[in-house]
Amino acid sequence: MDIIIQALINGLLTGSYYGLAALGLTIVFGVIKVINFAHGSLLMVGMFAAYWMVRLTGWHPYAALIVVVPLLFLFGYALQGILIKPILEGQRDVREPTEVIIVTTGVWYILDNLALMIFGAEYRVVQTSISGQIFMLGDYIFPKAQLYGLITTAVTAGLVLWFLKYTRTGMSIRAASLDRDAASLMGINQYRVYNIAFGIGAMIAGIVGCVLIPFYYVFPTVGVIFDVKCFIIVVLGGLGSIPGALAGGVIVGLIESTFSQYMTSTWTELIVYVVFLAVLFIRPAGLFGEKRDW
Amino acid sequence: MNTGIQKRKTIDTTLKVLLVLFVFTVPLWVTSPTTLQILIFLFLYAYLTTTWNLVGGFAGVLPLGHSAYVGIGAYTSTVLFISYGVSPWIGMWAGGLIAAIVGIIIGIPTLKLRGAYFALSTMAFGEGVRVLVENTMQLGPFNINGPRGICVPLIPGNNIAAFQFLSKVPYYYIILVMLCVVLFITWYISRIRPGYYLAAGGEEPEAAQSLGVNVAKYKVWAMGLSCFLTALGGTFLAQLALYFYPKQILGLDFSFELAFIALIGGRGTIAGPVVGALILRPVSELTRIYLSAVLPGLHLVIFGLVLILVMLYQPKGLVGPLEKLYNWFLNKVSGTEKEVRT
Repeated sequence: MDIIIQALINGLLTGSYYGLAALGLTIVFGVIKVINFAHGSLLMVGMFAAYWMVRLTGWHPYAALIVVVPLLFLFGYALQGILIKPILEGQRDVREPTEVIIVTTGVWYILDNLALMIFGAEYRVVQTSISGQIFMLGDYIFPKAQLYGLITTAVTAGLVLWFLKYTRTGMSIRAASLDRDAASLMGINQYRVYNIAFGIGAMIAGIVGCVLIPFYYVFPTVGVIFDVKCFIIVVLGGLGSIPGALAGGVIVGLIESTFSQYMTSTWTELIVYVVFLAVLFIRPAGLFGEKRDW
Repeated sequence: MNTGIQKRKTIDTTLKVLLVLFVFTVPLWVTSPTTLQILIFLFLYAYLTTTWNLVGGFAGVLPLGHSAYVGIGAYTSTVLFISYGVSPWIGMWAGGLIAAIVGIIIGIPTLKLRGAYFALSTMAFGEGVRVLVENTMQLGPFNINGPRGICVPLIPGNNIAAFQFLSKVPYYYIILVMLCVVLFITWYISRIRPGYYLAAGGEEPEAAQSLGVNVAKYKVWAMGLSCFLTALGGTFLAQLALYFYPKQILGLDFSFELAFIALIGGRGTIAGPVVGALILRPVSELTRIYLSAVLPGLHLVIFGLVLILVMLYQPKGLVGPLEKLYNWFLNKVSGTEKEVRT
């Protein structure tokens, strides 16, 4: 029994940063209706930035957020403004331009391989002040780094929801995601809103990078692992849905941790795919997806 | 009829006949097996991309897991050959059938959804198949050897029944014929009624549906046909390489490469995949050979840049501008420039 509860705790902790990573992806989709295939690569950039900050200064990994958050936000903002905007402008009548998938995949290839050229292919790990530390609650173990990850996820998700709900920019983002033409008619600068949404998505990827640094390896293709995981999570939860992304992340985390008690961890990966396909058959719009989004 | 236009037609036909003659006589004067191997791979990629294009181009969705069907074809025919001595020529049809069934089962729920769901689901499905194969040593009575992959047992000498040849020439002609057949199939589909439905559903699903076209049904059939033909290519790949493993034949990179070739060439066009393979395959081979020793990864950076530039400046693919160039050339040679313009 204890083992199961511990496994559930681990699943929740892992699932929280999965959910956070997926949150960035789902926001971009929710607003711009495009999938950012470079999301994992942005996460990798965030990880490398945090890695070098910790490595060179010895600061707390979360101190790296001061650099990573604005850096990734601006990067995402510029990416959308320079590369994706021309495509969206050229395809005004298309609801989901697939060209964007290709362009972001191009960005993925460029970022991953630039990292490979600059940093080499080896797996790097950095010892931070919270690596390997644990926190005990009764008999159950909470690794500190992951626990901070859970808190970061909650805080980030809360801030994002608050921003979307109560700020003027947030409201214009929601308006543009509901109906971009009507929003434009109301005087909302559609592309500026998109830039901001993309920036937020990239920024969240960067935050996940900082969360991961104390306990995860960093290497140039680390993003691909998270890309595939995020895609599964957002489809599970419903594309564009914020609670869906968080819930999907926790579900995937729980599946991985509980099933790994009974089988090797590579098989748990397979279980995730099976659950994913099952959900797709039973409820194709995902757990929190809306029917109009089919 | 105007003489200029007649002349233009003659030149056009002559060039096309010469091209066909050229392609079919290559092994007569190219003796280097390496060159032939490169050409065979070029045609194989053109073949696989053409089959991808049936669903990715005409049905207007973006499948990103087609390596799964290449793998199903390769594994089915090879496993049947090893276990029961079934000739790969027969095994390839079994593989195609399994791939078609799997493709239809995956297509039924996903093709009803918006494009993004389809792209992500097919990608996750492809990865799922790879993970499954990598973790399975024994699938029922068949030994599939997990992550280490399988070797096709060697039969000495040229053996037509075993689909094994000492020289590259038979492989060259087999893949060339296969490519011609799928090109014919795509051409034929593009001019029959279901093909029109497919194209209509791909471009404007809502409009097509409101006119009474069962868009999802035609997309599912296209998916089944595409998966079937893709698996046949998988068997060819297995017989050509005689060794394959999950990371290579079922990998994400492979699926993506097929999609990119089609998109850069021109998706939804008949010549697009071939043009894409003609342009991208040499680019990726050459950059890999000459640049990867200097800086590993540089060739993929260039690849990424090419993708972005093509999407920004020629989002419909390179086949359009090339066609324009060819027409300009024809007009120039036959002097019909003015007449065609007016």
